[in-house]
Amino acid sequence: QRWLASPQNAEVSRVFVGFCQRCHDEQEMLHRMLRVDHAGEYGANRIYAGQMAVLGRSRTGPVIQEMWDHEKQHLEKFNEILAENRVRPTALLPFWNITGFLLGASTALLGKEGAMACTVAVEESISEHYNSQIRALMEKDPERYTELLQVIKEFRDDEMDHHDTALEHDAESLPGYWFLKNAVQLGCKAAIYISQRV
Amino acid sequence: MAALLRGLRAGRTLRGLTSAATTAANTQCSLRRGFYCTALRLQDESKSDKPPSSSSINYHEHYHAHSTEQNAAEASQGDSASDPAAEEASRQNTSYQNQSGEQGEDYETEEQLQARILTAALEFVSLHGWSIEAIAAGAETLGLSSASTGMFYSGAGDLVLHFIAQCNSQLTEILAEQHKQVQLGHAEPKKTADFLRDAVETRLRMYIPYIETWPQAMSLLLLPHNIPDSLKQLSTLVDDIWYYAGDRSTNMNWYTKRAALTGIYNATELVMVQDSSPDFQDTWKFLDNRIQDVVNMATTAKQVQSTGEAVVQGLMGAAVTVSICLSVLFHH
Repeated sequence: QRWLASPQNAEVSRVFVGFCQRCHDEQEMLHRMLRVDHAGEYGANRIYAGQMAVLGRSRTGPVIQEMWDHEKQHLEKFNEILAENRVRPTALLPFWNITGFLLGASTALLGKEGAMACTVAVEESISEHYNSQIRALMEKDPERYTELLQVIKEFRDDEMDHHDTALEHDAESLPGYWFLKNAVQLGCKAAIYISQRV
Repeated sequence: MAALLRGLRAGRTLRGLTSAATTAANTQCSLRRGFYCTALRLQDESKSDKPPSSSSINYHEHYHAHSTEQNAAEASQGDSASDPAAEEASRQNTSYQNQSGEQGEDYETEEQLQARILTAALEFVSLHGWSIEAIAAGAETLGLSSASTGMFYSGAGDLVLHFIAQCNSQLTEILAEQHKQVQLGHAEPKKTADFLRDAVETRLRMYIPYIETWPQAMSLLLLPHNIPDSLKQLSTLVDDIWYYAGDRSTNMNWYTKRAALTGIYNATELVMVQDSSPDFQDTWKFLDNRIQDVVNMATTAKQVQSTGEAVVQGLMGAAVTVSICLSVLFHH
């Protein structure tokens, strides 16, 4: 579970052995990755919660519920990883809480197709993001991060499944699908950028 | 050509050694010394720019064969540790190894040297205060010029920050030790409030030897160029305490918990500086009360939250009742 030297070790080494800039950079990079992943799963959870608040009792309810359950597992996993590696969660969680829920609920108000279009857009962004992380980790040190890579790959596959499920449920038949999709993806990119830093 | 000659000379020494290995055990001392000299010479040779001659490769084989032979001799000797000659030999052995193989370890980075100077300077804080003079005195005890204070960018601030970093890692060590004891089942896990209280007290007690001059150090930490580092030290301290208190939160509690503990720590530090009671009893009492405040606040927050949820549920129930009543009314 622990991919990093614990902070107290870092502290000791800073005092007695001298400060290792490269280790520090790598740790910083990993912390950013885990922080944004956690924020992403948290946001996805809120989006599904918003969709379920509107469409929970419709016929698409169970489909959304199933995807939501996956996201809950993912969030659980990232909660563990963050705690284990002592990564600071993003300070914008309350903001993602509200924004995610509103996004889910408002697209669901456009009907089942709207919710599915939103799912396609979000899941596509998330899997792209996971793919870029996998590339970065493979570039760094695939041996050391095998476990983390395993987790990310598994989650990426889940997100792709959601993406396909949403497409099967007529996401593309929504009028203005292209516009909605791009708007949501732009928002996702901004969210990823901010959550890495704040 | 020179390398070849050296190789031949080394070979001669080795051959001499191989015959020596078979003789009595009390020649081990000179034997090993000779052996390591040879090894060193061989290493020198391989370091030279010229491509290794075939003879040197041959000698490397000798080297391996010989070392296994020597191991066997050592094993057969059995009680070599009780033999003073052998003991001396093994000491020689390691010192040679250090000289030859691990030169990198002796190299001291600038940060290490700085840390060494600052640690030495702490002894002079009671005399000179948190100042450049203390650092200069510390450097002089290490046989360095007092001009070496020039390597400290923020002077006295560096000394204070070094001390804080040292205290923090000391506390982390203590907490890690306690954590291990609890995990092994040797000690009872403390309640979170007690744990926090003890951790903060342990940490603040590290200031007692310097308490007279500590207000000066606190003011140094508030200088603009020291603020980023002092905040970083403070946040690592608080984070470490919460980590060992068993906090694994990954929501906004992460921030509220740290903010609360930071506040408590800073307030208690301020009280401590002004405290004149024996063994700082007033300070620890103050600390107790502040921690109790936070615990009370947390329970109140929880109660408010559950009350809020109950109110929302009640409103939802009322809305459903009203809508049912309305639909019944309009149907008839």
